[in-house]
Amino acid sequence: MCKDLPPLERAIQFHGHICPGLLMGVRVAEFAQKHLGVNQDIDEELLAIVETNSCGVDAIQSILGCTFGKGNLIFKDYGKNVYTIASREKNSAVRIAQVYREQKSPESIRYRQLNSKGHLTEEEEAEREELLACIFEQTMSAPFAELFNWQDVELDFPEKAQIHATVQCAICGEGVMDSKTVTGPQGYVCPDCLQAKEASINV
Amino acid sequence: MCESNVYLDRAGHKELLMESVDRIIPAEDGNIFMESIFGERKVVRARIKEMELVHHRIILEEIDKPEVVDRHPEIWLEPDTDHGHFHAGEEVVLKLSKGYNMKADAGAAYSALEAFAVNEGNVSQVHVHDHHGNKEINLGQEADGLLQIYVHEQGTRELYAKVVMEIGHHHHHGLQPLGLPLEIIPTDYSHARMGESYEIQVMQNGQLLVGAEVKVTYASTRSKDYPHRLTTNEEGKCKVFLSGRGNYLFSVAAQGISSTFTLVKSF
Repeated sequence: MCKDLPPLERAIQFHGHICPGLLMGVRVAEFAQKHLGVNQDIDEELLAIVETNSCGVDAIQSILGCTFGKGNLIFKDYGKNVYTIASREKNSAVRIAQVYREQKSPESIRYRQLNSKGHLTEEEEAEREELLACIFEQTMSAPFAELFNWQDVELDFPEKAQIHATVQCAICGEGVMDSKTVTGPQGYVCPDCLQAKEASINV
Repeated sequence: MCESNVYLDRAGHKELLMESVDRIIPAEDGNIFMESIFGERKVVRARIKEMELVHHRIILEEIDKPEVVDRHPEIWLEPDTDHGHFHAGEEVVLKLSKGYNMKADAGAAYSALEAFAVNEGNVSQVHVHDHHGNKEINLGQEADGLLQIYVHEQGTRELYAKVVMEIGHHHHHGLQPLGLPLEIIPTDYSHARMGESYEIQVMQNGQLLVGAEVKVTYASTRSKDYPHRLTTNEEGKCKVFLSGRGNYLFSVAAQGISSTFTLVKSF
């Protein structure tokens, strides 16, 4: 019982707070699980390609188990709320894109106004809480098709994350993945030291 | 005109409230009860602004929330645990508070308190004791099952507080009304989770209480007053969407009695 946190709770605990973006990510993650017929990832059975680095991605990580650390979360910095979720075992993938709406709801507009304010009064804090509750209910109860478009896509799965040897940087002495180093006269050099060295040459 | 779609006008923006409504009953307290041909029911705080009979549209307009006049103190129970339930063998401690909107009044005085634990119909009296200036009920480490615990305070107003506690594993059955003079009953006891709706039913002296105002709040609210005010339908039921963190408190008052039910959110 204690181990089985509901998906929404897992996402909130991972992200640290509730916000509209996280809730949209929850909807995406839950839809993808159902659509692909998969459970939370254990060891890279799933792959997520996310085209945003906004709050919703934390729901993808916490609910689907596609995480930065495991290497099965691929980030494309396109600034789009688009998520491609894929299952290696089922050889299937679905691309999910948030529906663009010109007109935001009055609740969303006011919520954003309050969020952009530096300091909120007690009354404004309470108002923001009420607005979030309203957006929360709208987001969780809206038909998925109102929020997102989706289509099954074919995906060339990248290889699973590789484990590389750790070597010592000849300059700073710190350990570094060998595939990230360059080899110079002194031995392996880490990207950080290489950058510093290049900067000093350019000066 | 047969059935109509009902819209709520919010600052010029019309939001579809319910489709195919075939019954609308305005109440004196500013609420409107509506029912669709599919059996869906809603109660909204609004007034009828316009009826377009040819187009089968009814437009409602929100009205301001009423000034709060009922701020009588209430009592409520919460478990002394952060994850919503107790494990078998764990010491079961409940905290009793008095205040309003889940904001406890630290200096509150109590009179003539009595408390009971009910497990599958077996009622046993339990002791409310002082613990560092707070009121507590300690059921020890032997308690097990789906327990209903309630406290009654006989003062100038009669106060009741009830909580359902899951102790041990997977006790999701056997929940019966206790028969309190005014009682809030979860209609389908299960683990309550954020992002889902939760329904309760109100009974007064064993009868369904229709049209009663049920106030709902939660532990983390920043609102000074109850953030939700619902009205029970013809079955004495009302439903709230759980959007807040922490435990929820449902509160109802009638005929000099205030009765609360604490919904403990479980993971």
